[in-house]
Amino acid sequence: MLRTAVLSVILAAAAYGAAAWLTHDFQIWTAEGARRMEVVLQPIAAPAVRIDGPGLGLQPLSHILADGHAITLLDFVYTRCRTVCTALGSVFQQMQGMLQADSRANPAAQRVRLVSISFDQQYDNPQILQAYAARLGADPLVWRFLRVPDAAESRRLLAALQVVVVPDGRGDFEHNAALLVIDQHGRLVRVFDYAESQLAIDFARDMAGRIAP
Amino acid sequence: MTSSSHHLLKWQLPASAFTLSLLALPAMRHVLEASMTRQMLVQFPLLLLSGFSLAGSLPRVWRAAAGRWNRHGISGLFAAAMLLAILMIPRLLDLALTDIRIELAKWLALLVCGAAVRLSWRPAGLVMQGFFLGNVLPMMAVIGYLFDSSPVRLCNAYLIDDQEGLGQKLVWIATVIGLTWLVSVFRKLMQTND
Repeated sequence: MLRTAVLSVILAAAAYGAAAWLTHDFQIWTAEGARRMEVVLQPIAAPAVRIDGPGLGLQPLSHILADGHAITLLDFVYTRCRTVCTALGSVFQQMQGMLQADSRANPAAQRVRLVSISFDQQYDNPQILQAYAARLGADPLVWRFLRVPDAAESRRLLAALQVVVVPDGRGDFEHNAALLVIDQHGRLVRVFDYAESQLAIDFARDMAGRIAP
Repeated sequence: MTSSSHHLLKWQLPASAFTLSLLALPAMRHVLEASMTRQMLVQFPLLLLSGFSLAGSLPRVWRAAAGRWNRHGISGLFAAAMLLAILMIPRLLDLALTDIRIELAKWLALLVCGAAVRLSWRPAGLVMQGFFLGNVLPMMAVIGYLFDSSPVRLCNAYLIDDQEGLGQKLVWIATVIGLTWLVSVFRKLMQTND
């Protein structure tokens, strides 16, 4: 009976250790929770991929994300989407309005940009993105639309930023859509929920304010 | 032991080896792991079952040795309950898809879990069995309820409909297993009273 008790205690300790590791000390239970927590501790550099988009020829993504003096709020979209992306579209519309209203009084707001990258790069060519941006009233000075034309590079970008896209079999996609904050060096530093758009924009403005001019 | 069940036992090792190699085929893994429901309700139970029959084909001496560390099936059922709890953490399902080490650990955990139940169930007796099921089944039902009622996806790699469907099925399965066990207990008690 002693051996059984000893073994049970050892097993309990092992299970506790495994569960604590898996849940970051019982703070998160999902991969998305872990991703959001880990990125705060260890920013992720966006990989070197090439993008294009309305008014933008093929060029490295770093030209847009890592220009050294602007903070980017990034999201992933596809224009055929009718569900979550529509919500995200309106979140970005509101944020654009806030940034535009702010930019007169607060110079830091001028250094916060919105970028939407399509992961449906075959369908969403620059013309389609242009029309989509126009429909949402995107101001190209504040809010840009991009795609990664090369499929392998697109997958690499999604994998690096841990964006998981799952086709739902009805022509739509489900993905862990969120607001990604990219610092002036092109590193993902924070992930916010849609519902936290105010927090995301305050965070980005604060970061922009602290960049040496 | 009847000769027919003895005959069946002889097939445990080849049957579980066959099941395991089938499950390990990349195409099979892909199909089963493309859906949360197929993963948890087909792949998981088949791995548990393989572990269960592998343990049955262990030499008698080994089983006796294991029994000395597993009086009344306590450590075995305890290990199984904890492993099942960990295996139901949503992050594990996502991680297993992208990290082969986690995938291997998941397989091993399920095999060990099945084996532990095999080696512990009879020595455990009704009280320990009830204690084990009283932990595992409510946990399964609560997780099923969470999967079903969560407005957001808990796994990045799986669809929300899949998650909801799985949640409902987990609640049903927990209920059916619980009732089945209660009926069997009832029968046993009736027989001993006669």
